[in-house]
This record gives sequence, C-alpha cells and structure tokens, in this order.
Amino acid sequence: MELANSGLEVYLVEKEAAIGGQAASFCCKATDVCTKCSFCLVPQKLNDVATHPRISVLTNSVVTRVTGKVGNFRVEIWQKPQYVSQEKCIACGICAEVCPTKPKAIHSPSPEAIPYSYIIDQSQCLHLKGEKCNFCEEICPTKAIALGRRPESWELDVGTIIVATGFEVFNAREVGSLGYGRYPNVLTGLDLERIFAHKGSLELPSNGKEAKKVAFVQCVGSRNENHGYCSQVCCKYAMRFARLIKYQNPDAEVTIFYIDLQTAGKGFAQFYEECRESIRFIRGVPVEILEGSSDGLKLRFEDISEGKVERETFDLVVLSIGMVPRKDSWDLARVLGINLGDYGFFGTRSLIDSNKTNVDGVFLAGTCQGPKDIPDSIAHGISAAEKARELLKG
Amino acid sequence: MKVKIGIFLCDCGGSLKNIDFPEISRSVQEIEDIAFVDISHNLCLEEGRKAIASRILGKNVNRVVIAACSPASCEHNFIRLLEGLNFNPNLLSIANIREQCSWAHEGNVTGKALDLVGMAINKARLLQPVERKEIPVNKEVLVVGGGFCGMKSALELSQLGIRTTVVEREPILGGRLSELEGFYGFEISPKEMLSSMGEEVKKDANIEMLTSAEITRVEGDAGNFSVRIKRGVKEDSRDFGALIFATGCKAEILPRYFELSPGSKIISQRELVEILQAPAKLERRPEVIGFILDIADENSRLPSLLALNAALAVKNKLGSEVYVFCKNLKVDSEGVEKLYQEARNRGVVFVKFEEKPRISERNGRVKVEAEDILFGEEVSVYCDFLVAEEKGLPSEGTEALASILNTGVDSQGFCQDENVYLYPVGSGRKGVFFVGACRGNLDAARASLDVGSAVMNVYELLALGKAVVEVEKVKVDPQKCRACLTCIRVCPHRAIRLVKVDDEKWTAKIYDLACDGCGICAAICPAKAINFEGYADEQILAEVEAMEWQYGRE
Amino acid sequence: MSRFLPKSKRWNGSMGGNNKIVAFCCENSAYLAADRAGKMRLHYPDNVRIIRVPCAGRVDVLHILRAFEKGAAGVLVMGCQEGACQHLTGNIRARERVRYIESALKEIGIDTRRVKMVNLGPDMAQKFVREVKEMVEKIEEE
Repeated sequence: MELANSGLEVYLVEKEAAIGGQAASFCCKATDVCTKCSFCLVPQKLNDVATHPRISVLTNSVVTRVTGKVGNFRVEIWQKPQYVSQEKCIACGICAEVCPTKPKAIHSPSPEAIPYSYIIDQSQCLHLKGEKCNFCEEICPTKAIALGRRPESWELDVGTIIVATGFEVFNAREVGSLGYGRYPNVLTGLDLERIFAHKGSLELPSNGKEAKKVAFVQCVGSRNENHGYCSQVCCKYAMRFARLIKYQNPDAEVTIFYIDLQTAGKGFAQFYEECRESIRFIRGVPVEILEGSSDGLKLRFEDISEGKVERETFDLVVLSIGMVPRKDSWDLARVLGINLGDYGFFGTRSLIDSNKTNVDGVFLAGTCQGPKDIPDSIAHGISAAEKARELLKG
Repeated sequence: MKVKIGIFLCDCGGSLKNIDFPEISRSVQEIEDIAFVDISHNLCLEEGRKAIASRILGKNVNRVVIAACSPASCEHNFIRLLEGLNFNPNLLSIANIREQCSWAHEGNVTGKALDLVGMAINKARLLQPVERKEIPVNKEVLVVGGGFCGMKSALELSQLGIRTTVVEREPILGGRLSELEGFYGFEISPKEMLSSMGEEVKKDANIEMLTSAEITRVEGDAGNFSVRIKRGVKEDSRDFGALIFATGCKAEILPRYFELSPGSKIISQRELVEILQAPAKLERRPEVIGFILDIADENSRLPSLLALNAALAVKNKLGSEVYVFCKNLKVDSEGVEKLYQEARNRGVVFVKFEEKPRISERNGRVKVEAEDILFGEEVSVYCDFLVAEEKGLPSEGTEALASILNTGVDSQGFCQDENVYLYPVGSGRKGVFFVGACRGNLDAARASLDVGSAVMNVYELLALGKAVVEVEKVKVDPQKCRACLTCIRVCPHRAIRLVKVDDEKWTAKIYDLACDGCGICAAICPAKAINFEGYADEQILAEVEAMEWQYGRE
Repeated sequence: MSRFLPKSKRWNGSMGGNNKIVAFCCENSAYLAADRAGKMRLHYPDNVRIIRVPCAGRVDVLHILRAFEKGAAGVLVMGCQEGACQHLTGNIRARERVRYIESALKEIGIDTRRVKMVNLGPDMAQKFVREVKEMVEKIEEE
C-alpha cells in the first residue's frame, strides 16, 4: 500500500485464490469492549490493496524463477489455470445453481475472500475429473468460466522483491498425546478463529452443546527443541478467547495452562488483570489427554504451584498452537537465493534490521521472517516497504 | 441548474431473481427528474462500464444512481470510471440491492429494492460536486528526540532524500540506550552504536541537530505544521510537513519495592554496567549476582530483556553465580527464547516464583528468599549484588507533550491511545507519529520497525511535495459558526482550527488534508454550521424520508 | 399498534402497517457485517433499511428523530466495538445520542426499546442478523 501510494507500481503475487493469508480468516474477539486483537485492521487493508490503481494482484500464482539483481530483477510467475476468471466473475452464483455435484464443485469463496470470485474444487468437479460436464461454463452470464484453461506464465521486471508469504500453524497432530484429530472436542486456536468467524459462537463439535469446561494448553509447538522460540501471539489469543467464551457463556469455567505467561504489550496489562478474576491460570502444561468418561477429556498435568500431578476432565481442550515456517519456504528460498534462518523462517541481517536478507533488493515482511502479531506484522511490512523504497528512489 | 438523474440497475448476470427489475424501472421512470433507467447484467465489467460511459457522455445527466452490489466492493470502480469521464464522483449514489437485499432475504424483495433505490435517488438529488486539488506540503520533517529511534528516523529519512531537524532535550545525542554496554538486539554495544550513529548524523547534510532544545508549541496540521522550538532563552518558530516523536522512556527502580539505602547492594542496571566495565575497582569479585523481576510490573518486556542480557554479560566477564528471580519471563520477542536457553546452559539459575520474594540485607549481602515453584522449595540466596527490576516509564514530559499535541496517552502513560487503528505508529493526527519506547515499544527490535513504518508513512505523505485533497468536503459556514470551539475540541484528528476571517470574525476552519471524514463535527455542531458533502444532514435525512414513499402500491 | 401513536401527535406519512426499521450502519464495521451476512445467505426480515455512514458518530439525534417521525418502527445505530472506532470516539458519541433519544422517547410515551445502539466487528454477521431479528420481534409485539 505504502509503496503504491508513494508512486510505485506493485505486483502482489498470491499463491491462494484470495489475498489475506491466515489473518483474513480470523474473528473479532471483542466482548462488550474491544480486546485489541487487531483482526479488524485486516479487511480494511485488503480492500485498500484490492482497489488501489497501482497494485496488480495476481492470485493462484507462484514465483518460479528469479534472475537479475537489485534494480533489475526478472521474475517468472506461474499461475494455476484460471478456470474461473477473477476479472470476469461477478459472483452471481448461477453456476453453483446448475452444478450437479454434491457438495457443489463450484461454490462461493469464504465471505472475507478478496477477490470475491467463485472457486472450483478440482476434487469434485466432474469435468476436471475427466467426465463430460460443463453446465457452469455454458450458463455463466459473463463467460468467466473456461474449463479448458491451462496454467499461464508471466514475466515481470521489477526493481525489488518483498517476501510476505506468512506462516503455517504448527500441526497439532504431531503431538499425538494431545489427541488432536482423534478427539472431536480437541481444537486448535486457529480452529477457534474460524468457528467464531463463521458461526459467531462456540459449540462442542461432538454434540453441538455449549462448552462448560474449557482448557487452553499453551506453547503447543513452541518453546521446544524443534521450535525454540515463543510464537508471541498464543498467550494473548488464548486469553482473548477465554474471555469471549465466558462472555457468551458466563457459567463456563475456563482454565489456561501455561509455562510463562506473555502479558506484555500495549494496553494488555489491564486486560490481564481482568482475566485473573474470571479465568483460572495454572502453571504447568499438560502432556497428555487420557481416555476420559462419556463426553469428557481427561487432562493429565503437573500443577507446578501445588507441586502435584493432577487429572481433570474438560469438555473442550484448545491447543494454543504456534507459528511455524511454511513448508514451501525452502523452494522460495532457493528461487530467490535467500537464506533460511533459525528454525526455518527466512533469515535476516540482524534483530534491529530484520527486513533485509542476504540478497540485495530482496526484503522480508511479516511472519515469514518470524512470529509476530498483527500490528507488529503491519509495522514490519511498512518497514520493508521503506527499505525497498530507499532502493528505488527516482 | 435542474437536477437530472440517470439510474443504472444491475441484476448481476440475471441472478437476482427475487427482484422484479422491470417493475422497479416502471415505478421509478414516473418520477419527474429521472432522465432514464437502464437495466444491465454486469455494471462492474467492461460491457457495463461502457454502457454507463456512453450514457453519461450522451445525455445531460448531472446525478447518477447505481443499484448494484455493495459499494464496499464496487464503489472504487465506479468512482474511477466517473473520474475518467470528467464527471464528479461525488455526484454518485449507490444502492446495495445485492448483499443487503436480494441475498439477505427470502421471497420477493422488489418492495425493499424499490425503497433502497428511492433512498439513493432522494440523496442523489441533494449531492454536490467536490473538487479534488493538489496542495503543496512542506517536505521538511521534525524529529523530536535524539536517541536510537530519533537518530535512526533522521538517517533513514535522509536516505530517502528528506531533510530533517532533530530536536534533543539533552546537550548530547544518544538517549538512554547509550548508557548500556549490551542490550538485546544489538550486536555491538549500544554505546558504540549510538556514538557512531551520532557521528553519521553530524556529517549528514540532510540533518540539522538542535541539542539542548525543546518544543513548546505545535500548531497547524499535516503538511503544514508550525512548531515553536526553545533553545536556552531563544524561541523560534519553524515549519515542518510532518512530526516524528521519539522521546523514549525512562527506566526506574521503584523505591517502594526495594529498600534503597546508601551503599546498598541493591543496584541498578547502570551501576551493574559500571561494575562490569571496571571489575578491578571492586574489593573482591562478586560471587553471586541476583536479578529480580516481576515485582513492580509483571507486564513489561523490558526487565526480562535487560536481565537476560546482563546475566550473560556477568557470566562472561565475572564468572559469578547468577540467579534470576522472576514470575513470568517475557520471551515474546525474537531470539529471546534462545537467549534464555543460552543463559540456562551457561549456568544461570532461574527461580520462578508466584509470591513476591522477601528481600533483606544481611551482613553486607542481599538475601532473597523465594519459593521456587518448579522445585516446590524455599530457596534463600545471598547475593553480593541484587540488580533490581527497572520499570519502563514514559519519559519526563510525556504528558506535557501529549497536551501540546492534543493527542492521547495509553493506560500506562505512554504516547498513543490504545486503539488498534492507530497502530503501529499513528497518533490519530495526520502527519504526527510516535515511534519506539515513547509509545511503549521498549525493545529495540520493535522500535526499529516503528522507525521504518513512520519514515515510510512520512515519505508517502511528503515526498511529492504535494498532496491531493478533496476541497472543502467538510466545511464550516463562517456565517453560522459561533466559534464555540466544540468541533475543535471534539475532532479526533485535530483537523479543525480557529481562524479569523475578514479581520474581525472568528470561525472554525477544517483543514482538508488532516480531515479523515468521520463527520463527528457535523453531528455535534450546535449551530449546524458544518456541511459534510456526501453525508450532509439533508442528504442523510433524504434517505430517511424516502422510506415513506409508496410508489403507487396501495 | 396502540402504543405506537403518541397521545399528542399524529404520525404523517400514514404508514398504517409501517414496520420499517432504519439501521444507521458505520462503514467500517456494521455495513461490512451486513454485507457478510448477505454473502453467507443468512436471512433476516426485510423490514430493515440500511443507511451507510462513515462513522456511527455522524449519526445525529435529528436523524434518529426524523426516522421515527417518518414512521419507522425501530431505529438501530450500529458502529464499531468500544475502543475500536477508527475515529477514536465516534461510537461513544453515538451511544450518548442513542441514550438521549431513549429519554426523549420515554417522555413522549414511546417504548424505549425501539431505539438501540449496537457495537460489532466487521465479521460479525451473526450478531448483525440477531440484532435485526430482535428489533423486528420487539416492534411486532405491539
């Protein structure tokens, strides 16, 4: 945004069909006041980017090759077949009405998607599976659909490159003992974001009832040998969710199991004080879920303050998973010639100069460089824009 | 000039089946000032835009109503289209008949759609054009504060070709960090780094340094600030386009948590630095050094960062035993977990407590008694020195600064309200930025990013030497204004000033570049002297009144 | 509709069966939430007429009163969460004005539940729908 506003042309290359990354699917965590989760900044920024005259958004695209050097990079881009042209799709939905499959192979995107264009699920689409069907193509009033489209390549000449590929969440299944994927009532923090964004309230996945006893388990996938860092966002999001759950269901009992509670940050101190009144904090992170009684999840944990090992049953267990680097970082690093740093995030020059990589003209923005919350990611991104701008003066 | 409204209805590819478009067209045609009603399948695409263009260039319409999808997604398209056709985009009114009508309700919604179109028509009648113009802006920037953030801001602005003036209260540059030998995030000592930054700043032709100087008054707004700078007895007025505040913080040991008496072995970070720099000066090498955190303030990153850094420095230089007493170690900054592990590997002992440890002085040493919750035992450690927690507090004069600027402070007294829309470096006031410790970012990594963000935002604003504004979109009528100052006090963006017109009358005046178009002033003005074009009282009321129309139904 | 007509005034516009609700929606939060509800095909009663405003703080007492005067059965003022207004204080001003209207309605004998201040985030489609449905229920009670 900042680069475009300062007069430069910007190409935004996005791997998925819509921009926004992980944060776009998050939810507002206000109770009766704002809890500063900063999610609301995201839709606004996405809209600004999508409508800016100097920003060209290329979705379903990846960078396959980069040659040249700072000031003069040639970037090759490969774009997935645009079965539904995002320029032409007006999201009228007539295609989905005529689609014969169940669930519909062609369907509306998530409501926050920008561009808001219909998407084809290749695993459902009869045509793409080799059968004869092109009802959607025929009926589309703007001729936006062409099922025979092939992938496309583009070449862009640019002066600088900013990498802002974001993060993945830690795969909670890796911690088998915490039962994610085995028990329906074990969710991750990301699951919770999506549930609140789509349903507005929380129900137990197993039976749709309200959750009466909820446990948050912190540091799942962070602060350990393979991920020797703090993901920075988990303690805060756990507390915000805990408050939100209690706000919607004042009778619920919420417990947060932690190692070191990360409560620093602008304005958070007061929120934390309020949390202490209604949320149970236990130092000591559970290591396993035992087979529980009928609907319950029995957690075994060490209550460090008491110095005892305990077992307690909860309805719902939320694993506060951390951020990990994307698996495709390795490919991108190779293509750009940049180094990976600690733990697989992209490497930078120094802690106080964290936008620059080992390659002149290639900068990092956001969580692809390391875990950050939304405001810090924005700051990191604008700072990256500044570093890029310095190179492209005039 | 008579109002002539052109109406475009979009049926979104024919998919909005629960709206009877021909019926709407028929009902609306009858209204006298409607020039035409066109129905399209896709106004947002090439085809639709061409249709709009030809109508506008052809028939003499001076207002446009579009009934289509949400303006949140299509507005910018139409605005650009109209601009290209030399048609003032403020004369456009959009009715949302898709997301907020057809898609939102079951059954026939033609009645509601008709209402929505009626509302847009009623409003369109009253719309007035708003001109866009370029106004000059002052390209010079004022940086207040000559520490790490201040100097960094000036140097980075200079790289971008922008001239800055750095005003520093003390006689020398450097700020608080220049006292530290080592700090999280710095590969060389902050002292060295700040000293070399100071040299760079001195040599930089784009940077003017004013030490022993303070600002006393700030007037004006984005692109055009007038700042009074006081140096000794002299006070001058200087003009700047943007202001960056990097006034830092102070770190204090709060006496009420620690017994501080002369010769006390409870020391500050600075005293520890002195010891580390000249260990030979002590009678004997300290055997045990303790650090204590989370007593005065459980929710700050600074003590953890300072302690980890210093603990390792102690291990390196003195080889003493090191104990760190803390409740929750703040590791949520990059590389800190690693630092923590390194400290543990080097033998630093971390004692985590839930209840405040008891601190007393015994035989010239400091005794710390704490219940180590990890082991579940009481530990007593006799330290040769106990380095006390330092609470990061807003610098002296932060409150005064906030009142000079008319901006807010957060719940801890640091600059910048706690409103996420201001993050990272905004103040609510266009052209005024807060970076680093003064807004509560006490670690150098985040402070660096603040600097980068502020510098970029300043560049965006000033680089071209001019800015595009919507001229008098929100305007005070001097005839009606009673200079009650309500709007001036209420404007969250401080975009309104009191000025004199015709040498005699005082009136409020809204500055276009600083105005963010919220309309709070227009709503609050007791004399209804403020007109907000596009959301004027009559225009909003016109939308309200259209609700009662019947369009020939019974 | 016996309590709808105040003792001393007659509503002009002869709504007769007017059960329209005016919802002043701030463009940063409520308007987007309403759009989202539409995208998700969450259905709600079609009595509501949304008026877009740049900030809930733009909504004046005058606007709310005119809505009732013109026959609206209910008025919603919908803005950002407290503490999350892009213009810092807009939603607070709106709330104050709604309170004022509540007391004005009370004085002329109209059920104060017909006006309501709602705070929500841009993704809260369900809350938007819930509030609209609730208001419709209230006015239909008469």
